[in-house]
Amino acid sequence: MRWHRITTLILMGSIALFACKKTPPPAPSSAPAETQTPAPAPAPEVIPFKVTSIQLGKAIGSDKTISEPATTFGPKDTIYASVASEGTAPSVTLKARWTYGAAGQLVSESQQTIAPTGPAATEFHVAKASGWPAGKYKVEISVDGSPAGAQDFEVKK
Amino acid sequence: MASNEEKPDFSDVEAGGSSTAPTAEPAEQTYTVASGDTLSKIAKKFYGDANKWRQIFDANRDIIKNPDLIYPGQTLKIPSA
Repeated sequence: MRWHRITTLILMGSIALFACKKTPPPAPSSAPAETQTPAPAPAPEVIPFKVTSIQLGKAIGSDKTISEPATTFGPKDTIYASVASEGTAPSVTLKARWTYGAAGQLVSESQQTIAPTGPAATEFHVAKASGWPAGKYKVEISVDGSPAGAQDFEVKK
Repeated sequence: MASNEEKPDFSDVEAGGSSTAPTAEPAEQTYTVASGDTLSKIAKKFYGDANKWRQIFDANRDIIKNPDLIYPGQTLKIPSA
């Protein structure tokens, strides 16, 4: 009878101990959140280089665009041609060929090699200290040797 | 009736330019000879010193045999100063 009492006490103690045992914290519901890798930004669209306009004038601004448009000039004027372009290229050569009269007598030819990264303005200019002869002129712009446009202008006394 | 009018002289034309785009290293700078040009005038135009005409002559010996004789329309290589 004594053994039975001791056994009962041990059994009840075990039950009480079990009842008091705290429930272990739940295991993390899942593995740590996966690192979200942002989707790569879309590659910028590569726009091939092209001339969009050619303007003539008597003056340019700091942005290399014409600030005083003109197609008729005086003998002592400096003549500017501003070439607007868009697109990118690692290296592109713009050439301006200035000619005089119907026969196309060469006045001057100059070129610039640029590495455009977007919209750009490139200016060419010519001046003649002794004065321009009156008559009709033309400036032709080429890109890497291919014609890209032309503008006619006139010098009047 | 044929015109006897002389062609204008454009040898004193000053040309230049600039761009908002970055400058790329030109593969080679060239110049097309205009009527009235001399090597000295071209040297003055590119280097600011007419006495440097020999640099241009030396770079173009394949097409210039006599430095006193260059012709309109010839395309000359212009070495860096």
